[in-house]
Amino acid sequence: MNINEELKKIIVKDLFLEDITWDQIEDDAPLFGDGLGLDSLDAVELVVIIQKYFNVEIKDMDEGRIAFQSISSLASFIKERQST
Amino acid sequence: MTGKKEHRQWTSRSIGSTFQHNIFYMLIRIGGWRLAYLILHFVVPYYILFRPSVRERCSYYLSHRFPEENSFQRLISSYRLSLELGKVLIDRAIVGILGTDKISLSFKDKERLLNLISEGKGVIFLMAHVGGWQATLAALHFLKIHVNMVIHREEGDVERHFFEHQSKQWPYRIIDPDGFLGGTLEMIDVLKKGEALCIMGDRLLGNLKNSISLRFLGEDALFPFSAMKIASASGAPVAILLPYKRGATEFGLDLAKIIRVPAGLGRSGDHFLPYMKEYVQTLEDFTMEYPFQFFNFYDMWKTF
Repeated sequence: MNINEELKKIIVKDLFLEDITWDQIEDDAPLFGDGLGLDSLDAVELVVIIQKYFNVEIKDMDEGRIAFQSISSLASFIKERQST
Repeated sequence: MTGKKEHRQWTSRSIGSTFQHNIFYMLIRIGGWRLAYLILHFVVPYYILFRPSVRERCSYYLSHRFPEENSFQRLISSYRLSLELGKVLIDRAIVGILGTDKISLSFKDKERLLNLISEGKGVIFLMAHVGGWQATLAALHFLKIHVNMVIHREEGDVERHFFEHQSKQWPYRIIDPDGFLGGTLEMIDVLKKGEALCIMGDRLLGNLKNSISLRFLGEDALFPFSAMKIASASGAPVAILLPYKRGATEFGLDLAKIIRVPAGLGRSGDHFLPYMKEYVQTLEDFTMEYPFQFFNFYDMWKTF
C-alpha cells in the first residue's frame, strides 16, 4: 500500500468521514474547504493522526501550510520528514 | 445544531472612539482608577439614555437573566451592566499602564492549577467574557508558563489589550482565529510545549458547524465546542476559569471545573455535548452569582 492510499484510509477512518470512501478522494484535491471539506478543527485531529501513524510532527503554521494542501503534498511532506 | 453559514453576530469593535479611549488612558495616568471611575459614572448614563443601540445590546442578555423586569428596571439594569463593563475596561488599562501590582487577585485554587500544568500536556483555560478576564490573566504570572490567548480583533477596534500599553515583554501571546486553519495548528503546538491556551467558550467564531445548541438562561443558545475538540485531540485538560470583580481593582478567580475529554470522539458536536453542558451550566451559575459581570452584547440565543 503506498502512502497516499494509506493516508486516505486513515483520514476516512480516524476523522469519521461518512459521505466519502477512501478511493473517492483525489490525490490533488484540496483537503480543506471545497475539496475534501475538512475544517480547521479537523486540522487539529490531522496533526495528531500524522504523528500517531507516521511519527512525523507538523510543528507550525508554515509546515502545515505546505503539508495540508492535498493528499499528495501531505504524503510528500511525510516522506521527506521520514527520510531525514 | 449545525450549519454552514458564517456566524458572527457580535463585534469586538468598541462603541467609543480612539479619542475617548485616550482620554481615559490619560485620566488613569493622572488620577489612577479613582478619577477614571468617577468620570465613568457620568459617561455611562449618557450612553444608556441617548444611545438606544447600547440599551438594545444590553437587553439580549438582560431579558434572559431578568425576564420579569419592566422598562424602568431594565434601564437600571442596563446602566449597572454598562457601568461594570466600563470599570472592567478601565481595570484592564490600569494593568497595562500602571502595572499588575495595582490590582489584587484572590485565587484559592492556585495549587490545583499548578498541578494541572505539571502534568506536561499543556492546559486549556476555558473562559468567558465575564468579570475582567484580561486583568485577571495579567495577575497569573505565578504560573511561569506562556499563556496563549485566542483573540479575534476587527479592523477599527481601538481598545488596547493590557499588554499593548507598554513595550514591556508580557508572557502572553495572541493566536488569531482568522489565521491559517483558524489558528488551530498554533494551538496544538503551544499545548505540545506544555503552555496554556486560553479560549473563550461563550462566543462563536467561524461557522455554525463547530457549534452546539445548549440551554442557557431558559433558552437554546449556540456555543462553540472547539475547546473540547482540541482537548480531545491533544490530551490537554480543560480548566474552566471564571474571573469576577470583587471591588475596585480587586478580583477573584474560580477554577470552577476541570474537564478531561477522551480521545477519538469523532467530528460531530453531539459527542462533546456532555462536556459543553458542564461549561454552560457553570456559566449560568456564574450569572446567578454575578448578574452584572457577563459581557456578551449580542443575541446569542438567535440560533438560526
